[in-house]
This record gives sequence, C-alpha cells and structure tokens, in this order.
Amino acid sequence: MLTVSVISPEAVLFEGQTESLVAPAFDGQVGILTGHAPMVTLLGTGELRLGAEGSGQRFRVQGGFLQVVDDTVRVVTEHASTA
Amino acid sequence: MAKGRELKGRIKSVENTRKITRTMEMVATSKMKRAQDRVVAARPYATALADVISSLYSPDLAERFPLLRQPAERRHVALIVLTSNRGLAGAFNANLIKEARSRLVELERGGAQVDVHVVGKKGLGYFKYVGRALASQRTDVGDRPSAATAAEIVDGLMADYAAGRLDGVYVTYSKFNSALSTPPTTQQVLPVTPPEAKAGAGTSDAGLQRNYLLYPDAETILSELLPSYVRNAIYRALVENEAGFQSAQRTAMKNATDNAGDILNVLRRTYNRARQAQITQEIAEIVGGASALQG
Repeated sequence: MLTVSVISPEAVLFEGQTESLVAPAFDGQVGILTGHAPMVTLLGTGELRLGAEGSGQRFRVQGGFLQVVDDTVRVVTEHASTA
Repeated sequence: MAKGRELKGRIKSVENTRKITRTMEMVATSKMKRAQDRVVAARPYATALADVISSLYSPDLAERFPLLRQPAERRHVALIVLTSNRGLAGAFNANLIKEARSRLVELERGGAQVDVHVVGKKGLGYFKYVGRALASQRTDVGDRPSAATAAEIVDGLMADYAAGRLDGVYVTYSKFNSALSTPPTTQQVLPVTPPEAKAGAGTSDAGLQRNYLLYPDAETILSELLPSYVRNAIYRALVENEAGFQSAQRTAMKNATDNAGDILNVLRRTYNRARQAQITQEIAEIVGGASALQG
C-alpha cells in the first residue's frame, strides 16, 4: 500500500492509504505503485486519481510537485480541489 | 430622586455596552479558533516545500536563480505591512505600525529607497495620516485569506526582484506563536533564504539525502518551487496575521467586558446607597411629622 497525502497551501485534502495513483506530471500522466524508486517530479494541470480505475478519490490539481519516498507519496500542489 | 434616575441611566448604558463587547468577544473567540486551524492547516504544505527545496538546493545552483541573488547593497526595497481592516483589537495595529516604522527607519538609514505596500484599512489610515506615498494598498483581504490573494500581493514584487528593480522584499505581520503571543515581526521574503537541510539527521529527514529521480531536473524543479515558497511565506503571514488579530480582539473585548462589570458594581452600589438614604430620610420625616401631631 502507498501512504498518500494531497497537500495544498490552505489545507491537507487527503491523507490515507491507496493501492496506486495516477498524477498529471508536467509532461504527461505518471502512475505510482508500491516499490517506486524515490522521485520528485513537477506537476502540470489535470486530474489526480487515487486507487483503481473507476473507484477512489479524484482531485483537480495545478502546479506543484509530487514526491515519492519509501511508498510514501506527497502530492504538493498550488491549487487543488476535489473533482 | 434626580441622582437616582441619572445613575439608573448610566447603569443601563454600561449594561448595553457590555452586551456588545461580550458578543464581540464570543465572535472573536470562534473566529480565532478557525483562523488558528488555518494556521495549522498551512503547515504541512510549507514543511513539504521546504523539505524538497532544501534537498535539491546546492550553493552552486544559487547563482542561477534570480530569486536567490544576494544583492551587494540594498538600494531599492519593498516592505509589505499587514494590518487589519477593523479596530477594537487593543494595540494590535499600533504594534504592527510601530514595528513597520522602525523597519522603515532602519532600511532608510541603510540608504535604501523603500516602497511601502499596505494591506488593511488600519495601516492605510496611519500612512495616509503621516502623508507617506504608498506603492500599493488593498483592503479586500477578509477573514479567510486565500493563497490566490497572497500570490497577487507578491507576484509583481517577485518579478521586480528577478529583474533587478528591487533588492529586497520584507513583510511585517503579527506572528502567531499562540493565542497569547502574537509579536509583530518583520520577515525577509526576498532574497529567499533557502530552508536549511536539518543537519542533525533526525527521523524526519530520513528521505532527504536520497538520490531522487528528478523530472525534469533539479534546476527546473527549483525554478518552479522557489516562487511557490515565496507565495507561501506571504500566505502564512496573512493567515497568522488574521489569527493574531482575532486573538487581540478577543483579549481586548474580554477586558472591556470585565471593566464594564467593575463599573456596573460601583454604579449599582452608589445607586442603592442613594435609594437607601432617601428611604431613611422619608421615614425620618414621617416619624418627625407624627410626633409633632401627637405633641
């Protein structure tokens, strides 16, 4: 399982466990599963999906970055809203 | 019983004032709670941002970022002064203005030309009173400052700094340490002081010194994140200032309510004494009159 937190300047929007996530990186979608190598990538604008296709939470994110370390994912974004 | 009626009027008036101050105290208390929650809620973002910036930052990269440029001398700087729109908060705004004024003197003594940017009606009123021209002003920051507002305030200044038109940006606000400690503070926003990678190798920075895969690369990521860092500094200043204002107002209104109580005690005692005296006097007159008839 991945421990995910979705953080905007105003608040922490989500904190919890999920199997996988798909995030809009600056150059296209990036999928994260457990055991991912440590990574920092810039985010673009788009939809962040937590969990499997068709289930789980979705957020609109814009800008910021995504950091993966030891199955802990931090999505730190300038604007985020639940979609 | 002219004096008695007058006292009654005053008692009524103080009671009404106390009702208002008590209500304001309660409103400020609940607003302070929410503002405080927002201060806490803003922390994870700042921490995450500082973590990543400090792990990517290296001194040799510094020269390449205009926001990290360390100017040799401060010729032209900007000071953002955050105040509140409303008063009745004790010395809150007076303290902020005092802090801003001493910074202004300090910066100008260093030979800098200072642009003053004011947020909040109270600061505006003061600078208008002393007749100082303001570079910008806004009074539309309400109870819930947003990250977008912070960006509006600082984006132009960041561009000026990057272009070399400014040599420093400072913000004066009331730092929210706790509900009882909100000291006015001036913080340097630009040039950015890169957050220190915590040296002690504690548990929190276990992930810091890893070899991250970086997309696109450290330089591009930093150039995106540094402006976010600056905006966040302003956002936090706005949020903390609001929390500080609410707690100052709460304290001021609590004191006012307590004082109204004290005044009421004195007035009621005086009123009762006057009433008692009058009754005693009337009885004395009746007794005196009755005994005169008997005699």
